[in-house]
Amino acid sequence: MAKKIGVFICYCGGNISDFVDVEKIAQEIAHEDDVVRAKTHMFVCSDAAQEEIIREIKERGLEALVIASCSPKLHLETFRRLAQRAGLNPYTYIQVNIREQCSWAHTHNREEATEKALRLVRAGVARARMARPLKPIEIKTIPAALVVGAGITGLRTAVALSDLGLTVHLVEKEKRVGGLLNHLDRLFPYGRQATELIEELRREVERRENIHLYLEAEVTKKTGSVGNFKLTIVGPEGEKEVHVGAVLVATGGNPYVPNPGEYGYGAPGILTLLDFHRLIRDCRGAKRFVFNGHPVRRVVFIYCVGFREKKGHRFCSRYCCAAGVYAGLTLKKDFPQIEQFHLYRDMRTYGSLERLYHQALEEGLVFVRFNETHRPEVLETEEGLTVRVKDELTGGKELAISCDLIVLVTGLEGKEQQKLVDVLKLPVGKDGFFNEIHPKLRPVETVIDGLFITGACQAPKNISESVASGLAAAAKSGVLLLPGKLDLEPQIARVNLQKCSWCGLCAEACPYEAIVKEEIQGKAVARVNPALCKGEGACVPVCPEEAIEVQGYEHQQIKAMIDALCKETA
Amino acid sequence: MIRVDPNLFVSLRKDKNFNAQACFHCGTCTALCPVGLEILPRELFRFVLLGAQEEITKATDTIFSCLLCGLCEAHCPRGVKIAQNIRTLRSYLVRHEYRIH
Repeated sequence: MAKKIGVFICYCGGNISDFVDVEKIAQEIAHEDDVVRAKTHMFVCSDAAQEEIIREIKERGLEALVIASCSPKLHLETFRRLAQRAGLNPYTYIQVNIREQCSWAHTHNREEATEKALRLVRAGVARARMARPLKPIEIKTIPAALVVGAGITGLRTAVALSDLGLTVHLVEKEKRVGGLLNHLDRLFPYGRQATELIEELRREVERRENIHLYLEAEVTKKTGSVGNFKLTIVGPEGEKEVHVGAVLVATGGNPYVPNPGEYGYGAPGILTLLDFHRLIRDCRGAKRFVFNGHPVRRVVFIYCVGFREKKGHRFCSRYCCAAGVYAGLTLKKDFPQIEQFHLYRDMRTYGSLERLYHQALEEGLVFVRFNETHRPEVLETEEGLTVRVKDELTGGKELAISCDLIVLVTGLEGKEQQKLVDVLKLPVGKDGFFNEIHPKLRPVETVIDGLFITGACQAPKNISESVASGLAAAAKSGVLLLPGKLDLEPQIARVNLQKCSWCGLCAEACPYEAIVKEEIQGKAVARVNPALCKGEGACVPVCPEEAIEVQGYEHQQIKAMIDALCKETA
Repeated sequence: MIRVDPNLFVSLRKDKNFNAQACFHCGTCTALCPVGLEILPRELFRFVLLGAQEEITKATDTIFSCLLCGLCEAHCPRGVKIAQNIRTLRSYLVRHEYRIH
């Protein structure tokens, strides 16, 4: 199968050419069978070079394209699009990595680096020779989404999905929507009542016909794959199966509860931030700040409780500094005569929240910085509570602060929800939160296509951040589902039905559970679900019959590449 | 051991010019002080905020040796009226420690 192949080799402005003789490679590779054009460029990825290559492909009638440059991670898609613009099937383009895998790795030996690069390019040519045009696999998508959790993130996300015209199934395990916000008082930075915010969203959700809300319900089963999931919802009205194209998880975080005795927790007068929110909400109406029947004159806040610890939660829960400071400001506003001491390790009111900290300083809330090696000690005496702390800002002088109330400023930890994790196959990180696929570039997607994570189930977040990630996931779902169809990567596993005798080894090896047993004309064989397969090839080497291959990486191709790599040695 | 008592701060705050609480402890004042005061302005104000009466009494000499040149005040990123605050402290000491009216 003779084919006209074009090979283009990149200098990468010296990144490659400093350590690899790219001109020599171009000369040598030109002698390979089927290679009708071999040329170098300073930057193959530059617009000018791309245009020239497109022109050459058209003029010379090239049928396959090899570019020797950087890692496919950087420019595979760039050059596939180039091939497409030149009228080639993008899968007849082969990228050879002679930068990360050659020039950068062998800066000490130009001669041998050149030799290695030549062999790599030759193997690329061998692969290009056999490259078959592939078409993306098209599947139809269902214009509906399921949202797990109807806290602020889930509610807002459901409304956004509904705005996009998608049907939404909103599943909440509690009796009412709102989640954590039901227990909160005023919210930073503008002092809105948390419950008002929830009520507003609840009405909005109720008003919309394309949002179905399931209370006291949970998701118990998931089958199918991106664009076409089947999920079972179990609620008070029994079981229901819904078909959706995407699943969004918005289950939130768990407010940390200190261990008994941690900063005196468990004794009367020692509250968490969440308890404090309830208390101030109740006291505001009564216009008296009273705890257990006693008027409160002085409150001590202790920050970083349960977080940034060597044992337990190592991470910073990040929103609690602002939440603690804002609780202090709220208290100051409603009950200005109450004295406040805020004991902190580091003040992390990041971004515009710094304004709250400055305001708190100006209003006379006293901030005392302590070191983690000298933590505040809570003492219960007959006269009441006393906190002893070494103040870093006076060079470690010990303070004794007697007080009526201690508020432990606690943050969010990952929720214990093994059942949901098992049903949805959610990736859980070491810290107990769900993991995204890429923290910067794909922040709401997971390794499972069509399964998104949003809000505080991913990491401790404040409300703005939670809602922002919810809206990001809604937009992502829209991109996925609104076209009605989905193109999937065709470089996936394919089973040779004649050779396959179903031993199940491939199914065991697959990390994505993409392979299932199937009967075809009385014979048991393996079937690959194209929507689940990532084409990573764990199934290929375990097959005793060589019956399973990844398209674009067929056995024949790989063997030809190996032959080309060791041509001189053989 | 400092027994924290905000009453001192509350009484000093009656003077509207007293704004030591805005300090965020950067130390610019200390770096600039031409006299090299024994107790740093930021530390002094901290004692005031915490109500550490004894520490302030101990620092009386320093409080009265400040030149009130205002170099620190001109450079304070938080706009703390340092020289003015020192004056307020002086008048407090005169009234409460020395009982001169």
